[in-house]
Amino acid sequence: MPRRPTDGVAVTDPSTTGLVAAAAGGDESAWVELVHRYTPLVYSVIRSYDLSRADAADVNQTVWLRLVEQLSRVRDPQALASWLATTARRECYRLSRLGRRTQLFDPYDDALDAYHGFSRTTDVAAPDEELLRAERRQALREGFAQLPPRCQQLLALLTADPPASYREVAERLSVPVGSIGPTQARCLRRLRDCPALAPFLGTTATRTNGGERDGAVAAGR
Amino acid sequence: MEPLPPADDAALTAELGAALRESGSVPEEFLTAARAAFAWRDVDQEVALAELMFDSACDTAPALTRSAGSTRTLSFRSAVVALEIEVSDAGIVGQLSPPRGGRVSAQTASGTYAEAPVDAVGFFSLGAPPPGPVRLRAHTGGYVVATTWVSLR
Repeated sequence: MPRRPTDGVAVTDPSTTGLVAAAAGGDESAWVELVHRYTPLVYSVIRSYDLSRADAADVNQTVWLRLVEQLSRVRDPQALASWLATTARRECYRLSRLGRRTQLFDPYDDALDAYHGFSRTTDVAAPDEELLRAERRQALREGFAQLPPRCQQLLALLTADPPASYREVAERLSVPVGSIGPTQARCLRRLRDCPALAPFLGTTATRTNGGERDGAVAAGR
Repeated sequence: MEPLPPADDAALTAELGAALRESGSVPEEFLTAARAAFAWRDVDQEVALAELMFDSACDTAPALTRSAGSTRTLSFRSAVVALEIEVSDAGIVGQLSPPRGGRVSAQTASGTYAEAPVDAVGFFSLGAPPPGPVRLRAHTGGYVVATTWVSLR
């Protein structure tokens, strides 16, 4: 579960922008927080490729070394998730090609001088569904991290595997069973309103409030 | 793919659960490597970064002739330096331009594994790189440059 901003290391600005700036200035705790926040995204992209464990680990390491070298150059920290996902994807592609290379390039061909490296973009196809899904789950984690602790506790129990029943949640949080459904709906509404989710908002999305009975959440998965 | 957020609370709850569980599924070695990468932060702002512009392993260049050799070619550029390298089982040979003498070192995430002088026309050669991300750093009379990290084998 994402760490609540009040836990652990003393990162004064928990926004990604602040973390990137702090890490660029040498604040290792900010770097650790960035790693904590974004490794799931990087890992889920890597996992969508059919790489060996060693290749997967090399891609992960490469992605983070790249971010370190780019720290002082990050122009749009809000786009960090997208940058990480794209970098991971590109390096997965590189390593997958290393394993079964068939076409090779003649280094002595002087046409290289006319080559400007634009094909860097050709190995990154339009983001596919898996990449979007990975970024969307990242946005959900970020939105969750920004919820009030009470909402985090409630949603963590209801999204556990297996999920806690409303009765169990009521006991754990010492609240009436009848308040769980409305609170869940309110917390989910806050999650939906979170800025991190804005890029993923569908225009056709409609909101339905609560109405979940005990156990209905489990049936929905 | 469904628009986010899912219209239905149950679907959103389920997707949130998947997202939160995903964050617990990252292998410890991935986290450790990611945290350790911070040690490679370049404090020295004078070091230019040479970005990877071309890699014959995965960039297709249809206009170019292909050979049947086993050499991989990579091309790096910064504002002031171009660095071309060829990687084979025998090792790395490369050329810096403009040539300014000096030395080139090759680094993995665990440290420098090889070092070599740069000759008068910018050529240098290094031993075969280990697997995993590598970067080359050149300290010359005219510039200090480091390539972006990339797996060479």
